[in-house]
Amino acid sequence: MADHLDAPGLMPPGGDPSIDITDIYAFQKPGDASKSILIVNVNPLTLAPAFSADALYDLQVDTNGDAVAEIAFRFKFSALSGGNQTVTVRRAAGAMAKMKENSGDVIIADAPVSFGKTARITDADPYRFFAGRRSDPFFFDLFGFLNSFMFTGDDFFVDKNVFGIVLEVPNTALGAGPGIPSNIGVFARSLVPNGSALVQIERMGRPAINTVFMKGKAKNGFNRTDPVDDVEQFTDTVEDVLIALGGDPALAGVLLPDILTYDYGSAAGFLNGRNLTDDVIDIELGLVTGGGVTTDGVAAHEDLLNKFPFLGRPH
Amino acid sequence: MDEINRRNFLKIVGVGSGAVAAGAVVPTLGMPRWTGNDALSFRAVAGLPAEPLPAYASYVLEGSVNLASRTGLVSRTVLAGAPDAMSDIALPGLSQTIRVTDVRPAGGALRIQGIVSDRFQVRRGESPTVEILVDRLRGIVRAPFFGSIVTLNLRS
Repeated sequence: MADHLDAPGLMPPGGDPSIDITDIYAFQKPGDASKSILIVNVNPLTLAPAFSADALYDLQVDTNGDAVAEIAFRFKFSALSGGNQTVTVRRAAGAMAKMKENSGDVIIADAPVSFGKTARITDADPYRFFAGRRSDPFFFDLFGFLNSFMFTGDDFFVDKNVFGIVLEVPNTALGAGPGIPSNIGVFARSLVPNGSALVQIERMGRPAINTVFMKGKAKNGFNRTDPVDDVEQFTDTVEDVLIALGGDPALAGVLLPDILTYDYGSAAGFLNGRNLTDDVIDIELGLVTGGGVTTDGVAAHEDLLNKFPFLGRPH
Repeated sequence: MDEINRRNFLKIVGVGSGAVAAGAVVPTLGMPRWTGNDALSFRAVAGLPAEPLPAYASYVLEGSVNLASRTGLVSRTVLAGAPDAMSDIALPGLSQTIRVTDVRPAGGALRIQGIVSDRFQVRRGESPTVEILVDRLRGIVRAPFFGSIVTLNLRS
């Protein structure tokens, strides 16, 4: 439950799980430090049969640390037809990136979505792309968490699937250039139509921020807020939960805004970006409990691929 | 063996004898409902993990017991979402049906004993036998959750 099933607005009744972002990952491409792999997983437990054709999946890239995107990668899916679905990917830069709209240059057009075990990969130099059903790489003892942190090492997600969106990009597409710092921040959001506009009803940066720190229907409010407003709106809430967990309330200043910080010049994992094998839960448990709880006893999945699209074959 | 039926159960749970005689419905929040023929149904919910942490899921117990035959069924489900924001998504591997094997008064409450009907629904390290305490006066139910005792709130 990094961000799986995190808010009532994303779950039946009334919500659409296909736009529920479960996790995001950002890491150096293995063997090629000039490229990065960006992954957005959605649709927990594959409750929905396809990606949403109404929504816009939007991966935001903040290049200057102001919690506002200067670059965006946007994924717009077709309607499911005859068991097939395609997706067009755009890259937006500058003032356009933060806008809630399907704008930007098309970098990949009509890529096929994979619903079977074989990954249908689209090469569009310098990009590489995959979207489809895959094994959920997230690992966590969910029952232990529900049982007030009495972990037994039982990985709830080991046999679950998600829908993955995987994009290989040259770091230049993330803003890299001479003299430009390689530190960026990434977060994903789901936008849905509301009249003629698109509105944000889901977003995620680091794992488990909304699920652990927000209460009940307030989770919807968190999802609808832009990260740039996180510190002002949610610091008190996060501090309260940190205190309840035995952690240091000052950590709220690290956890907010909810953006995954990533230095594409480094292969180090979480908190620098996030690799598929990073035990983010163990790291976060140690942080938020002040060292009181250091592990849930669960390890990374063994079905990950060592090549693109890296996500394991679906169960 | 203690006699237990609709009349003395109502005494146990604190409803006055006048109301019993009149067969009145007591529309109190959290009141277990009579469904006829000494049958009692109840629904109780708790957020998981327990407070003070924000709840991620809701532990839902729904039961129907026959006080005369001391039998019945109780379902246990964990739904995604906190009690005030509950979805209809049951988390896989956490649903159980409990067959009631005994029902007895216990102080001011009702003690229900049962066993998980399908042994494949019993998780590693979990006991297949279950004891549930329905305490109408306090508006709570106490039931096990993987070795811990969870307090649920009765819902009407």
